[in-house]
Amino acid sequence: MLLFFALPMLLTVVWSFFERTQFWMEPGFTLFAYENFFTSARAENYLYSMFHSAIAVVISFAIGFPIAVFVRRRLPQTAQHQVILLFVLPFMISELVRVFALRPVLGRTGPLNSFLMEIGLIDEPISVLLFTPTGVVIGDVLSFLPFMVFSGFLAMEAVQKYIFEVCDDLGAGRLHTFVDIIVPLAAPGIFAGSVFIFVNSLGVALVPTVLGGPGAVNAGLIVNQAIVALDFPLAMAVSAIMMATLILLLYVGHRLFDLTKIIRPIS
Amino acid sequence: MTEQDIAVETLALTKRYGAVTALDAVDVTIDSGQYFVLLGPSGGGKTTLLRLIGGFVRPTAGQVLLHGADVSDLPPNLRPTAMVFQSYALFPHMTVERNVGYGLRLRKLPRADIERRVGDMLALVGLDGLAGRMPHELSGGQQQRVQLARALVLEADILLLDEPLAALDAKLRKDMCLELKRIQEQVGITFIHVTHNQEEAMTVADRIALIADGRLVEEGSPREIYQRPRKRFTADFVGETNIFDGTVTAADGDRATVDLGFAGVDVPADRPELQTGAAVAVSVRSELLALFDAAPAGDDWQSMPARYVKEIYLGLTTAHRLLLPNETEVVVQDLSHGERPAFAAGQPLYLGWRAGDACLHTD
Repeated sequence: MLLFFALPMLLTVVWSFFERTQFWMEPGFTLFAYENFFTSARAENYLYSMFHSAIAVVISFAIGFPIAVFVRRRLPQTAQHQVILLFVLPFMISELVRVFALRPVLGRTGPLNSFLMEIGLIDEPISVLLFTPTGVVIGDVLSFLPFMVFSGFLAMEAVQKYIFEVCDDLGAGRLHTFVDIIVPLAAPGIFAGSVFIFVNSLGVALVPTVLGGPGAVNAGLIVNQAIVALDFPLAMAVSAIMMATLILLLYVGHRLFDLTKIIRPIS
Repeated sequence: MTEQDIAVETLALTKRYGAVTALDAVDVTIDSGQYFVLLGPSGGGKTTLLRLIGGFVRPTAGQVLLHGADVSDLPPNLRPTAMVFQSYALFPHMTVERNVGYGLRLRKLPRADIERRVGDMLALVGLDGLAGRMPHELSGGQQQRVQLARALVLEADILLLDEPLAALDAKLRKDMCLELKRIQEQVGITFIHVTHNQEEAMTVADRIALIADGRLVEEGSPREIYQRPRKRFTADFVGETNIFDGTVTAADGDRATVDLGFAGVDVPADRPELQTGAAVAVSVRSELLALFDAAPAGDDWQSMPARYVKEIYLGLTTAHRLLLPNETEVVVQDLSHGERPAFAAGQPLYLGWRAGDACLHTD
């Protein structure tokens, strides 16, 4: 753990203070990389990227979690795992191919626009679907949605089926059952899935590389660009800022919701 | 008896799952204010019957009437019923108080009312002082009491209990049985309790219905079910019984003579339809059989020869195993306490019982 996990994290922080050289870096202490980050468009892009990742999390929850609940509640026990396994299938295709395949789908002359025009919802093709933050969010949701389905389903598996019958007996409607019972009981899974999707949306450079454009980048792509430009201290600094942001978010979340209570297994 | 006095009535109630018939045209009538037990082996359909009454499953055919009104198409919350589930059915993230009060909060009752009714109910089920506990901090018995309170607090007048004590150990189950009975007498509503445990059924029931193979086998008071079972299945399922197959050789009104092949016995039979030559079964409870060195004398005594095999000490009672001339096994039970003669394996003896203690079964 220490060697493969803590040490690289520590080195990331240490290296972010090193002096940049032409092809690598040398020991020293300078805040130049941080200055570079905060005074350029990168900081702004980074904040936008966090915002877009949050939207991706919310959409994934809105789509993925109900799928998990449906599978657990309505399907026969034997079919449940088979249906959940279907969500693994996309992972058998390289992510690069999967994301790339979205490009023609979302394009101006792609099937999505054609379909929307066909049913008369729009008059002319929407160009906001590709090479924009919208495109990136769509890509993130489609790439990482299964994680919400998996973690939501696993959390729901711990919930006894009797619980739903009790809700029916007491007269809790769909909304009350969902808000009062299902969400609190599945909170550990929802939380795990959300963190996973947020981190990936923020850090996986591939999605904005393929589907993004000017202003539609994420932290991972910023790091990538810094590495391509051989500015290693900057790449390290952005990574360190990512870590700091996530730790801060977890801390705030903990203060607000008491995460130990959410994560503690309910027995 | 008026319509109002009948809490539950099912009419040819049937539930099929694909090719499997879980419940087959069951007619049962349950009086208001009764503690009614559905007793039977696992997979016999008793839980299905309870769930049909509660509205958790819809019947394939037939009707459920509650207080005379057809509720066959109503969901559980619109029926005058409340359910206590087997186990693990408390909301694990809510305190005892919030679990019990949840149904009332859904009905948007004033907070003070909710607090008062929840408090009263917790006192009734003997959980004062535990209102703030989480379910995982409670014992199994306490958890079932919380479920009971959660169901009773809604003031439904038919309470359904689905194997409520199945997860508890034997000692606790006994105590909880008495508790359930006390609570039922106190609130005075109809309790319908599903169990496969006959001791549990005997302890709580005003009436017992035996359910097996999706059918209502027999219904009666605990005493009737135990002492005068009409069906062979009932005699076999409840208590320790010895059953002998034979044919009727003479039948005159309230008495029949049955030929068992190696002995002829007299059996009380209040079945006017009984014909000479009919295949029947005769059952005698193990504790009503006695062992003799010679065939007991007197008109009233029935007897047959048997060979002693061995005794099994069971604490309160001792079971004696014997073999009949046709090699079927018979079990005789008597109280272990006190002086008793010892029998040797292979010793020839006579089994005896009073004619009135045997039961005749045609099916």
